[in-house]
Amino acid sequence: MKKVKKHIILLTPLFTYFTFFFFAPMFVLFVYSFWLKTSTGLVPTFTLHNYLYIFSNKLYPITILRSIRIGFITAIICVIISYPVAYSLTFKYKKLQDVVLYLILISLFSSYLVRVYAWKTILGSNGIINQILRYIGLIEEPLTFLLFSPTAIIITLVFILTPFTILPIFSSLQNISADLIEAANDLGANKLKTFYRVTLPLSMPGVITGFIFSFTISTGDYVTPQLVGGTEGLMIGRIVQDQFGMTYNWPFGSALAYFMIFLLIVLINCFIWITAILKLKRKF
Amino acid sequence: MSENKTAFVLKDICKNFGNVTAVKNFRLDVKDGEFISLLGPSGCGKTTLLRIVAGFEIPDSGEVLLDGKSILQLPPFKRPMNMVFQRYALFPHMTVYENIAFSQFLKKKPKEETQEKVKKMLSLVQLEGFEQRKPDQLSGGQCQRIALARALINEPRVLLLDEPLGALDLKIRKQMQIELKNIQEKLKITFIYVTHDQEEALVMSDRIVLMKLGEIMQVDTPKRIYNHPNSRFAATFIGESNVLEGEVAQIHEDYLVTNVDGLQFFAQRTAEVKAGDKIFLAIRLEKVNRIDKKTKKSFDNQFQGKIEDVVFFGSSVKYYVRISENIIMISEETIVEEESDQGVEEKNIGDTVAIGFAKKDVNVFLE
Repeated sequence: MKKVKKHIILLTPLFTYFTFFFFAPMFVLFVYSFWLKTSTGLVPTFTLHNYLYIFSNKLYPITILRSIRIGFITAIICVIISYPVAYSLTFKYKKLQDVVLYLILISLFSSYLVRVYAWKTILGSNGIINQILRYIGLIEEPLTFLLFSPTAIIITLVFILTPFTILPIFSSLQNISADLIEAANDLGANKLKTFYRVTLPLSMPGVITGFIFSFTISTGDYVTPQLVGGTEGLMIGRIVQDQFGMTYNWPFGSALAYFMIFLLIVLINCFIWITAILKLKRKF
Repeated sequence: MSENKTAFVLKDICKNFGNVTAVKNFRLDVKDGEFISLLGPSGCGKTTLLRIVAGFEIPDSGEVLLDGKSILQLPPFKRPMNMVFQRYALFPHMTVYENIAFSQFLKKKPKEETQEKVKKMLSLVQLEGFEQRKPDQLSGGQCQRIALARALINEPRVLLLDEPLGALDLKIRKQMQIELKNIQEKLKITFIYVTHDQEEALVMSDRIVLMKLGEIMQVDTPKRIYNHPNSRFAATFIGESNVLEGEVAQIHEDYLVTNVDGLQFFAQRTAEVKAGDKIFLAIRLEKVNRIDKKTKKSFDNQFQGKIEDVVFFGSSVKYYVRISENIIMISEETIVEEESDQGVEEKNIGDTVAIGFAKKDVNVFLE
């Protein structure tokens, strides 16, 4: 009994913090999402009007789908480029581990905003990429699709989010003992088969974590799209923000936010479910 | 054992890691169906040697010949050998069935055949019905049996075992020693067994390769290596011995007279020695007998001494007998049933006692 209490004391600080600054505001938002906005102000009531309103205007579903598409592509690219880095750090360049991980962390030292601005200059029509391409003579007019487009958002978000995919994949690869890889080798698996049958399945938890991190963060991002996305790159975070800032339609903003939370939870569970099915299918 | 033809040959294997010599000029002929133990303290190169045979390490020089052909160019997954790891190395994401069937699956064997074989392997290691368990639901002993089944299903020419019982507790280890030996005799597969446990090596092996600092010290049957160690290292690493320093006094046709701290010891003539050579004498503890009045046996070497200590070991008792100012000899006696009540009860510390041992039990080596 006493033991249990001590345990709770240690949990209290974070629990209190989260209760006041996360759960309570989230609950307030949840309540708002059922209220109504009228010309005179907010009316406390219970209506699903705000949720249904999402589908009344094509803009919202299109933006939601675009956000998810950008988030999905970003997450896939992040995982694909992070895996080889984490893999080679674990198995090939063990001595470089500390240095490279430190460098990855350093990239997190500078502010997120600063890095987005940096990409804005790099990708811009007078940015370094266009300047180089023009100097070489590959192009005459600056490439405009580089900036103010979904491509620009993806490029920027991949840069910002790769640390969040490298680290979980790296740590799950760390847990794979060299014995297992040697055992697979010994039992007749060449390098490719060893990777596909042993290393990859055992590092899936890290891959899934990394994917979820980068997918949720990029889908919900609203600063990057504003700075480098242009009109084509409008994402849902911006619309939610506008409901609170510009139109003062808090109920609709809340409903939109909760709808996104719900949608992401469903999508993430689908993803986990698919990998679980793939795992079962591997039976032989 | 069937026809004792040579299965594979290790020829002058050398391997260095930086400045450290792991294996030096290692040569060994292994016969088909033989149980060979590589025995030695940690860091003696035994595991490195096993990994060279498995293909995980490439020797700096030397050859590994299987049926007369070099296999050094083959990657591990193409060698007809399988390995059992100390830490089991079962794939945690696969069931017992999938673990065992892994190599068959890679060979694209028909499913029915594999199922049949897995069943046979599970009954061989006495774990029938464990197919659907996951490795984390098994005890250490069970894991190691599955690892054994996984390696044996491939019908390897040679099975390599890297201290497979090292992680198990004593009781299961002893049981597994017998089981391993039985399985090996049943399947007649060549086993190369790496261990630092001399008892394990003595119990299971047909031949023991005793190693020290990357070099072979002695290769022999357990019985011969125990009774006739060829070095001080062998005499003390395998079993326990009284080791004494002395000098050769006279050389006779089949025995030696040696001088140890003023006492005369008769020893068997084994090592090439000249009169006046400094030598070590090793006598097994259990070969040193206490002579009491009842047994009127006499020995080549007999000494009077004072019992300094008596230590009880359950099935045996050790007597520490001082026979001269600088020499304490230990005599180990198995407790016979009738005596067991008195064995230790006899308060014989301080008593004078006669001890004796045959000259054939005194091994002599130069060092």
